[in-house]
Amino acid sequence: MYRGTDNSRFPLLGAVLVILLSGCATAKVPENALRLEESTLEVRSVQTRKIAAPSEASILTATIAVLQDMEFNVDGMEKPLGVISASKVSDADDAGEKAGLFFLDLLCAVGSGYSSFSCSNMSTAKDDQRIILTMVVLPSLARGGEYSVRVTIQRVIFDKEDRVKILERITTPEIYQEVFDNLRQALFIEVTES
Amino acid sequence: MIRKSILLFGFLCLAGCATTTPVGVSGSGATLKARQIQTRQYDTLDKALTMRSVVATLQDLGFTIDEAEAELGTITATRYHEYTMRMTVTVVQRGDERVSVRANSRIGENPVTDAATYQDFFVTLDKAMFLTLHGVD
Repeated sequence: MYRGTDNSRFPLLGAVLVILLSGCATAKVPENALRLEESTLEVRSVQTRKIAAPSEASILTATIAVLQDMEFNVDGMEKPLGVISASKVSDADDAGEKAGLFFLDLLCAVGSGYSSFSCSNMSTAKDDQRIILTMVVLPSLARGGEYSVRVTIQRVIFDKEDRVKILERITTPEIYQEVFDNLRQALFIEVTES
Repeated sequence: MIRKSILLFGFLCLAGCATTTPVGVSGSGATLKARQIQTRQYDTLDKALTMRSVVATLQDLGFTIDEAEAELGTITATRYHEYTMRMTVTVVQRGDERVSVRANSRIGENPVTDAATYQDFFVTLDKAMFLTLHGVD
């Protein structure tokens, strides 16, 4: 019996099979996942400062005070390695971000004329963000009395349904400069008070 | 008949995806091979400076540190960039003259098993080790 119409469905079944088989394959690691980017040196200098302090205790106390000032919680600390891990969950509509997002929301609302904008990233005005920060404070290897302080910051933005929306590494120099300005101020207070 | 066979094969494919150990605690079980590609030995006695280099390398690669423990030499870090990548690095003193560094990594729910990715990590760590052991911050 000739069943020409059924034969035409075979490519579809074949495609389903290919998808099923590919589902078993191990996920491929993104290339260069652990390779340094060209901008590494630049980013490192943005994230690092040499700060003179009378003692390790004073600069560590000042560092924790700064984290508290910036409303972070300290998640963990390992003094021999100088590592302090901290994080906070906040509204993603804080400070300057709100104005920017409002403007972009407006462009999305105006219509498709601004096709270069991705409207899926808009309306983050009421999203939560988790900011994760590591500070590494260690005696400088090059010079006594100085401490090398390096800060790295990342954030994850969640949408209203708690789904991850944006994962990003913060590299904006002004943000790091602000952290170091706060640290110098806190260190000054720590030294004059003690 | 052919169509039924294809469908049956499809179901077998699906069944093939199911794991025999449902919880998957033991991972893929390729322990020795994985250890080889995840481990490097360094000719130094300085575990503390090695750990300092590991932290610097992880920061260079865009990670933040979740946990660090100097005595046991364990550091766990996460990078949130396009995807979530987690790494655990252990630094162990071996005998009187070497320090062993082992790194293992996962991207999302998948373990990283390819040697090239670990090779990239150790190339970066080699540079950091050189600088740290020569007193450069």
